[in-house]
Amino acid sequence: MLEVFLQETGTAAPAIEPNAAAALALGLAALGAGYAERGIGAAAMGAIAEDDSLFVNGLIMTVLPETLVILAVVGFFLI
Amino acid sequence: MSSAGGSNPEYVTARVRARKSALYGDEEYRKLVRMGPSEIARFMEESDYEVEINALGARHSGVDLIEYALNRNLARQFDDLLEWAGGRLYDLIARYLRKFDAWNVKTVIRGLYSDADREDVEDDLIRAGEFDDAVVDSLLSAPNIEEVVDRLSGTIFGADLDAAYEDYEDTNVLVPLENAVDRTYYGHLLDELVVDEATAQYRAFLEAEIDFRNARNALRLAQSGADIDPAAYYIDGGTLFTASGLASLSQNRDELVAAIRESQYGDDLSAALDELENAESLIRFERALDVALLEYTNGLGHVFPLSITPIASYILAKEREVDNIRAIARGREAGLAEDQIQQELVIL
Repeated sequence: MLEVFLQETGTAAPAIEPNAAAALALGLAALGAGYAERGIGAAAMGAIAEDDSLFVNGLIMTVLPETLVILAVVGFFLI
Repeated sequence: MSSAGGSNPEYVTARVRARKSALYGDEEYRKLVRMGPSEIARFMEESDYEVEINALGARHSGVDLIEYALNRNLARQFDDLLEWAGGRLYDLIARYLRKFDAWNVKTVIRGLYSDADREDVEDDLIRAGEFDDAVVDSLLSAPNIEEVVDRLSGTIFGADLDAAYEDYEDTNVLVPLENAVDRTYYGHLLDELVVDEATAQYRAFLEAEIDFRNARNALRLAQSGADIDPAAYYIDGGTLFTASGLASLSQNRDELVAAIRESQYGDDLSAALDELENAESLIRFERALDVALLEYTNGLGHVFPLSITPIASYILAKEREVDNIRAIARGREAGLAEDQIQQELVIL
């Protein structure tokens, strides 16, 4: 009885469409990247304020978490 | 963790680490020990102290120039810290830096007591604490001690100073007022400190500071044999001594040394304690206390990278640098030998 019930509900439409899920994943990845960059950016600004020559290093470090979003975009196109 | 009005340890620690690496190391000290006052001033001008040396160079010279430049630089560096830090981090830094407020209040009161010139007093101030220039200037322009106490009524020092002022009026000695200022400072050091993993380390550092201060006071009392009640100088909040324990220990130096040896600081201080038992010199022991504290905070800086601890470690290292340079300059002026000065320095 229960099995039948489970099978019946299993055939219903998913709670969110694949496209919507991918969009959600991309958004969450971007959020994570933003949070990571917050700390790194603050530290990089501090370092640059003390020593100008760290500008390039600071910039690279700050945008590193962007790779998260790039991977998420790849996932987005795969679906 | 952080939001609008929250703290910003990333920014502050990045800047502080850069500043810490710019402090003088062994190499520089070895050079400085061989220099005369004017050479030291020139050496400082070529490093971090350029602004201060240039600003003061026209008015002062020799050791005075070095001394005032050191004070001003210290003030500038620590003011920067307070300016950068926000929220909880600010509170943690300000706790320790209020010691300069205490210093300034005491200096102003002493200046008024001894009828010193306003400018002389102003040169001796270290504007590194929480008070901004307007507050300090208003203290400086106060005509008498009562007015100073009055103008401090809105600050943390207000209540205790008010109470102590009556004592001062009765006895006409400064001790009650100075004691009140110190007690307020140490009282607020651990007051309402919210403890998590990282600040537990910071609290340990502050407690060590209080313990060492108590140990120092007790040893000085024991050494001088003066008939003063040690409990009056006891500072609350440490882990090592209780008020009554300290009072009885300060009567007997050997027992005091044994008590410190058995405490949690015993391992770090064992060399210093041996020396203290054998020799009569307190100076070496006090220096060993400084080294132990510096070593402790130096390690602390790496345990919790994004917290108050690297900042505390920088603050202490900077203070020691200023003390060291001052010791070198004064030592050279007094004609001490190089290795004698070397012994006075607190270097890791």
